[in-house]
Amino acid sequence: MTDFRIIPGDIPLPLPTMGLEFMEPFFHGLLIVAWVVHILFINVLLGASLASVYFNSKGHKEKNPIFDRVGYLLTTPVTISENMGALWGVAPLLLVSILLTPLFYSSSILISPHWLHIIYGNVVAFLLSYLYKYTWHTLEHRKTLHIFIGVVGVALFYTLPLAFMSNVQLAMTPTTWTYTTNFWDALLRPDTFFRLVHFYLATFAVTGVFMLVYGMYKRRSKDEVDRQAGIVLTRTGKTWFIIPTALNFFVGPLVLFSFPDYGIEAFFANGYFWGIILTVVLALYALYQLLKDFFNDDIPDRRVWTVVAVMVIAIISMASLRHGMRMGLVKPVLEASHAKTELFQKESMAAFEEAKTKPKTYTQGDTYPGKTMAEKHGCLACHSERVKIVGPSYRDIAAKGYSPEQIVELVYQPKPDNWPGYMPMPPMPQVPAEDIKVIAEWINSLK
Amino acid sequence: MFDYPIFEMPFIGHRLLFAFDAILHVFISHGAAVGGSIILVLSQWLAIKNNDAKLDALSYKILFTFFILATAVGALTGIGIWIHINIINPAAIGALLRVFFWKWLIEWIVFNVEMILLLWLFLIWKKHSLGTPGKKKVYKLLVSYAVASWFTMAIITAILGFMMTPGNWLVSYFPAKPDYLASLLNPSWFPSLGFRTFWSIAWAGSMAMVLSYFFTRDDLELRKKAMRLYGAVLLGCIPFIIAFGAWYYAQFPQAAKELFWMGMVTRRFAGNPEYATYVTVILSALVLLGAITFYTKPKQAPLFLGIIMLIGSMGLIGGFERVREFVRKPYIIYDYMYANGVRVADVPYLNKTGYLKHAAFVPPEFREVTDENRLVAGKYLYQMQCRYCHTVNGINSVKARTKGMSEEAIYHRIGSLNSPATPFMPPFTGTDDERKALAAYLASLAEQTPANVYKQKLDEVSK
Repeated sequence: MTDFRIIPGDIPLPLPTMGLEFMEPFFHGLLIVAWVVHILFINVLLGASLASVYFNSKGHKEKNPIFDRVGYLLTTPVTISENMGALWGVAPLLLVSILLTPLFYSSSILISPHWLHIIYGNVVAFLLSYLYKYTWHTLEHRKTLHIFIGVVGVALFYTLPLAFMSNVQLAMTPTTWTYTTNFWDALLRPDTFFRLVHFYLATFAVTGVFMLVYGMYKRRSKDEVDRQAGIVLTRTGKTWFIIPTALNFFVGPLVLFSFPDYGIEAFFANGYFWGIILTVVLALYALYQLLKDFFNDDIPDRRVWTVVAVMVIAIISMASLRHGMRMGLVKPVLEASHAKTELFQKESMAAFEEAKTKPKTYTQGDTYPGKTMAEKHGCLACHSERVKIVGPSYRDIAAKGYSPEQIVELVYQPKPDNWPGYMPMPPMPQVPAEDIKVIAEWINSLK
Repeated sequence: MFDYPIFEMPFIGHRLLFAFDAILHVFISHGAAVGGSIILVLSQWLAIKNNDAKLDALSYKILFTFFILATAVGALTGIGIWIHINIINPAAIGALLRVFFWKWLIEWIVFNVEMILLLWLFLIWKKHSLGTPGKKKVYKLLVSYAVASWFTMAIITAILGFMMTPGNWLVSYFPAKPDYLASLLNPSWFPSLGFRTFWSIAWAGSMAMVLSYFFTRDDLELRKKAMRLYGAVLLGCIPFIIAFGAWYYAQFPQAAKELFWMGMVTRRFAGNPEYATYVTVILSALVLLGAITFYTKPKQAPLFLGIIMLIGSMGLIGGFERVREFVRKPYIIYDYMYANGVRVADVPYLNKTGYLKHAAFVPPEFREVTDENRLVAGKYLYQMQCRYCHTVNGINSVKARTKGMSEEAIYHRIGSLNSPATPFMPPFTGTDDERKALAAYLASLAEQTPANVYKQKLDEVSK
């Protein structure tokens, strides 16, 4: 029996399936697909922004306009993928928020306020990336400054996955939650570390594939510099794809076996092993295809599209594996959470019905109409008959001998100067004057 | 809420943290995206009609500024509202998502269309000059972009309307069965949408006027044309803003109307509701002064007037959002959930069985109040029920609010939080023991000054 120390409750409203049986599997499918689109854009954003700064400084150092052009060309995919990446992150967030509410909300709060970095860090990185892009020509003669802007923006972009990964890893592993778990606990764990390494390597691999496609189009350009830049993109794309993909064959198992045992058992029991085989075979095939044309700058279009197609299937397969592992890990706690919420609702409803049948009882008696009125309007929160609470006692007020009209006036416009040492009373214009007069009579009867 | 961990924002508190992101989003999404796209449609229409290349070039410069603002700040702070409320009030956003899932999904699809159109528009604008057939395409894209951004606002406005005027949305409480259509067509949706639409256009008009000032420093004729156009748009919106605003106000629940003045002037000046009128009149005067001067004397009007026009608009918009948030209190979803995430219908049960008992992220040894754990239990209760609006030492601090009060006085005060004295506060939820624990914790805050801690230690040592 796996030990779940903490079982949060769920939102006591139904899933918006509109009563359709197939809706829940559809939500899971949509989650996988939207997430894949999101992560591909994010990969290209991270990879292309780094490559752009790299080629910018390489072009500057070697006084080579071709590298400079490669850097500049890469700013367009950065603009597109930072916008689309953020946008396609919304759908997974929406789906995770209804499918895994207790887990994802809890982990988000546990790693806060650092979770907010994905907003504020992102806004600053975004603005820097625009600054970098739109000053490319104006800062032509101040390259050091320009490259510096680029480096800061890229560095900031690379910190965002730290917040994301700690959150998703924590949400997947509720057995690791304690009452004091925080962001650094989640970040500095081996499982989060291996996943981050796997993610960053995959980022370069995906960007490599993107560069192959981008380079393919640029090689056809009429502009000679663009054509040369296309060749550089193609060469870089191959290396960026091959080396990280090869490394990830070793990092992948480390990721898999750093999950809690019961998750790994569920993973294999549900047949996801074959998914791993499929992904590995596909990736090996893509590697083989590229290695065949490794020294060929004019790699045929068909080869490029084959690699793209194979890798898209491999990535969808990998995303399904990831989702399968997650569901295996969270299923026991989700079921417990639903049962807990249902029990709570049932008992709460009984207490609610019971409270409706009972008349509201006043704590301090009902003998005088003025007293009831004072209770009703909340006066007794601060004043009592005999004792000083927040404001003076009614007996002390009665001793001042105000007329009911004066008391009405004082309720509407209190004079704190009359009662030094007490908290000033807020004006209570919402209490009707007739009611205050009834209360005033009762106060004055306490003399 | 008791189902989730506790995140506490020290000193500035949750409200300011949230407001910072939300108001930034409102300024930019309403100005640069929704209103801005409508403004640009108008000026593009004029540029094409009159074959006016200068106005076309000016429109592009404004579009560029709006593009940077809308994509880098507007869109991200919009997602940010979500991320913030995720960690501040998960119970509330969780409930809203369950009820509004499909509308939100549709909003996301339209948001996609909006972003793609904007990126596309931005990338092709300069490729097509005036008088070419391509320009028509650019114009069509611009119109579609304007429609899409308005549509995303329309859906989000429905959710905001729902929070204050949910209507008969809950068919049955247990098992919970929401009415998805009624929640969408809640009474304040249309009036608030009209209100927002027109002030967005007016606000975008004021932004466009100030931007035009910078972009037309060496072309006063163009400045005159731009100021006349954007100024007319701004001034023309005002009657609609007032009419829709009045209709919107009429939909407020009675209790919300009664909080209206306090929402405007804050509690400190609750005795002087006339301040609200003064401030509104002054801010409106700043906007009008700027707009009318730029409209009548576009060539002479100084930048200073444009700046005060922006400040006035931002004051009015920020003030409106504050009032809208304030008058909804003590609820976050009217009549269903209190601002601190406690569902109204759960209060009797929690009062009977205890609040801490159900708190998943409170260690078990603090779920029952005892003499030993009283202060820590009280602190947990403070964190779970009060920190939504209060801080310990900073803004709206409980320490200041309970200054000079004895533990007994605090105990009494906790018993009637949702009373006419403070109708905007949710009631305390929990058993009498828990109420005492909270009172003990709050009373202990006053004594926990650094000097007092040393004095206590000194006393112990001297013994």
